[in-house]
Amino acid sequence: MRPDTAIARRGPWARRIRRAVLIGSLAVLATPFVIPIVWMVASSFKPLSEIFKTPPTMFTASPTIAAYAEAFSFQPFARQYLNSLYIATAVTLITLLVSSLAGYAFARIRFAGRNVLFIVVLTGLLVPSEVTIVPLFQMFKQVGLVNTHWPLILVTALAAPCVLATFIMRQFFIALPVELEEAARLDGLGQAGIWWRVSLPLARPALSAVAILTFLASWNLYLEPTVYLTSPELFTLPQALTRYTDAYGGEMWSTQLAAATLSVVPMLVVFVAAQRHFVEGIAHSGLKG
Amino acid sequence: MFTRRKLLTALTLATAVGLAASGCSAASPQAPSAAPGSVDLRMTVWTSNKDHLALLDSIAKSYKASRPAIKSITFDSLPFADYNSTLTTQIAGGNSPDLVWMGDLSKDLISAKALVPLTDRLKATPEWGYDDLLESVTAEFSADGQLFAYPFSNSPFALYVNKDLLDRAGQKLEPAGLTWDRVSAIGAAVHSATGKAGFVVRDFDYSSWNMLATVWTGWGASAWSADGKTCTFDSPQMTDAMRFLHDAAFVNKSTPGPGTKADFFAGDAAFTIAQVSRASLLDGSFAFDVLPLPKGPAGAYSVIGQAGVGVLASSRHVEEATNFLAYLTNPENARLLAQYFPPPRASLLTGDKLAENNKKLSAAQLQSVVVDQVRGAVTLPNHKNPAEIAKKGKVALDALWTEKADVPAVLGSVCAALDPVLAK
Amino acid sequence: MNTSLLAAGEAAHDASPAAGPPPRQRPARTRRGDALVGYLFIAPQLLGVLAFVIVPVALAAYYSVSEWNIFTGQLTFVGGDNYAELFQDPQLPSVLGATAIFLLGVVVLNITLGLLLAVLLNRRFRGSVLFRTLFFSPVVVSVVAWTLVWGFLLQGNGGVNGLLSLVGVDGPNWLQQGGTAMASVIVTQVIRSVGVNMVLFLSALQGVPPELREAARVDGASNRTIFLRITLPLISPTLLLTAIITVVGALQAFAQVAVLTEGGPGLSTTVLVYYVFQQAFEFNDIGYGSTLALMLLTFVLVLTLIQWQLRRKWVFYEA
Repeated sequence: MRPDTAIARRGPWARRIRRAVLIGSLAVLATPFVIPIVWMVASSFKPLSEIFKTPPTMFTASPTIAAYAEAFSFQPFARQYLNSLYIATAVTLITLLVSSLAGYAFARIRFAGRNVLFIVVLTGLLVPSEVTIVPLFQMFKQVGLVNTHWPLILVTALAAPCVLATFIMRQFFIALPVELEEAARLDGLGQAGIWWRVSLPLARPALSAVAILTFLASWNLYLEPTVYLTSPELFTLPQALTRYTDAYGGEMWSTQLAAATLSVVPMLVVFVAAQRHFVEGIAHSGLKG
Repeated sequence: MFTRRKLLTALTLATAVGLAASGCSAASPQAPSAAPGSVDLRMTVWTSNKDHLALLDSIAKSYKASRPAIKSITFDSLPFADYNSTLTTQIAGGNSPDLVWMGDLSKDLISAKALVPLTDRLKATPEWGYDDLLESVTAEFSADGQLFAYPFSNSPFALYVNKDLLDRAGQKLEPAGLTWDRVSAIGAAVHSATGKAGFVVRDFDYSSWNMLATVWTGWGASAWSADGKTCTFDSPQMTDAMRFLHDAAFVNKSTPGPGTKADFFAGDAAFTIAQVSRASLLDGSFAFDVLPLPKGPAGAYSVIGQAGVGVLASSRHVEEATNFLAYLTNPENARLLAQYFPPPRASLLTGDKLAENNKKLSAAQLQSVVVDQVRGAVTLPNHKNPAEIAKKGKVALDALWTEKADVPAVLGSVCAALDPVLAK
Repeated sequence: MNTSLLAAGEAAHDASPAAGPPPRQRPARTRRGDALVGYLFIAPQLLGVLAFVIVPVALAAYYSVSEWNIFTGQLTFVGGDNYAELFQDPQLPSVLGATAIFLLGVVVLNITLGLLLAVLLNRRFRGSVLFRTLFFSPVVVSVVAWTLVWGFLLQGNGGVNGLLSLVGVDGPNWLQQGGTAMASVIVTQVIRSVGVNMVLFLSALQGVPPELREAARVDGASNRTIFLRITLPLISPTLLLTAIITVVGALQAFAQVAVLTEGGPGLSTTVLVYYVFQQAFEFNDIGYGSTLALMLLTFVLVLTLIQWQLRRKWVFYEA
């Protein structure tokens, strides 16, 4: 049924059809975003011989959880999971503090050299981690921190992702009306008091955006743990996922998928539960035109 | 501002001092004997198999009982996939283990003088039996008449057969005089009849080309000259061997093409070339046989994959580590290790001895695929700078795995890529 | 200047010494000690950048004129040798080519798709929230897990070709041919990260006053003209920000290449980042790796400067 275009602009049918076309094309577009995740979860329950079956199947008739047991017995997966969680949490907390302080100062406090120092900080956003990784490795080696979590925490919490956070915070504070701060100042609060009591509470949307982006940045780190960490009990999740190989280097496909599922599903659940905060947080962070 | 400059200076200083320190740390002298309970030994291995580790632990325990100086001996399981880079990082980072398992990193370690020579020590150890070692397996770990690592594992490559799949395709296989052409023909027949794969060179995956030595040796080809200085990928023998593989992938389809996964041990392929140790992956879901490698145009041949154990010169306890190595590899412990790793000792290399601890393969099978193979075997390609050679070779060789590839031209480009690295 | 135009790009512009103070900020009465508080507040961030960005860059420059024996820890001064190697490295042209293609592909696709999704989802209808969630969800999946799964799906006998065979298409061997391998790396990268751009564009679109569009419609402008002449200029500061973030992110795409293709087949997907890692950590050639890394840094700086200069041409500032 294809109404002619003159009516299509106005009639209720035309609107419905246009809506259906919109939803249909969005659904098609969404396929590559969703199918991989569904396939990963479904395949993690397949016996090994079914993963590469031709023609491929989405769901198996004989599900097994053997791969999940293997994921934990092959390497200290629970420990690695915990490593990723606590590193990302520590990084997020430090970044929230550091970036809100620096962002506030760059937006609101006048001091000599402010603009120049801000540009110096911004370079942290532009220098790719591949440039700094070799020297950083040598620096941490000299102070005996290789094969510890310190490089992953310190560098992430103070360098690139934190610089982005400082930038976001500065943008947000600049856009805030100054009247409240003026009032607080008349009440005798100092800069530190204003930052803590007035500006920070108002900055919740920006802080949640920073928290989300920073947590994900730390959670996803791959190059850094690959370089710094050598003991399996110190590994982080992304690094652990690529280590499911048998004693001869052959890949353990189903175990890899089970571990990947375990790493992804809780994040997805948290995300779907809090998806408004995710999306709105970024949307209202001041990062807009 | 002041703080900033101070920190900067402190950091640069720390780096400079650290570099100087690490420059001379390798030459620190050894104390002749250590105080009781003062020595911790660490050995890096790539196995994470519980039985392997339990055996190593029990040998360490009985050694420790008679050596008061030793406080602990730990076996550090590093992931196989990046064992070499992890180990290198540890050595470079001043966190060097005392003993190491090594595969294709051996030439790098030997040429960097990072390993302790073992021959004199082992010969001087009573009842160690140095002459029991087979020359064919010590060659790869020797330089200038010195052995730098004990080749504890010498696992021959063999041809595994899925008899059920052959039956389903109505194919008969005569083990005697089996040739690569015959394997390819049966593989193609199985593939067209069942849709399963024909033969699979395990772990090659169109990436780890050194595994193809299990095929090209049958054509009399090799990756480089015996002195390791000249690439021989462009030889007529190699060209014929690669043509055979190319045709198998693209003409008669007896081996899966690039990007197609087929796992023999999951029942996806009629044949696979894999080490004898992989028999542990057989789960009894199909009837199998294991045979020596098929004959190539150059006749019968055998190929082994080796692993050695050595002592790092950067260890803080070279003396104690070397003593432990001599104990770990003495005839009695070598017999225990032979449960899992085909031994380098002639006295242990008989089918019956090996079958004592092998649940998957019979004495006759072990005799034909292990014992009869090890003595005359060729090892997988092994050279200094293994990572760079592997990568540069792969980049050039990738061009071979397309339908209309110009085989001689591609192999010429492989040599163009490898020669500068070989010359280093 | 309107507050809604305090866009990221615009505000960073304020930071340059030439620009005036931010509009909303009155010349505050400076108290004694305020400046000290200011320095204290920025100290952790500034020191972090100095220690973990500036010092390492200086060290990288030092390494680039050195040769390093990884097993003995000996460092030898070699002058310009590593820089000379840049011009003799037969692989480098292909690597730079692959990097350019990857960069261009990711940036163009990521921004157009992000914008398209934002425009489609900018109105409320039943399911719009669900779709936003769906398109954003890959962002929370770790790059490695995401790439591993796509690695499975893109095998010759994997899920993508299985799906194609249902409609009678004999799919190519995605990861084994130069063209499709690069396309696969680009597309998987875009799908995983486009959600962030979509959200940024959504919020930018919501800042466009509806009256402007209505007025144009009354004047008889088509939807296309309204989008090109009104909407696009108004959100151009966001466009600039996303372009910068996407370029920097794409230049650092290590896990995608390392897990999906290992740079192959041939050198077709060996981007500079992966090449640097190989030289420094796999071949243990730290001197040459550092030289390549500095070249990468130069590219990033030049690209950012170009974008910054171009913004005068296409980023819209309200009078």
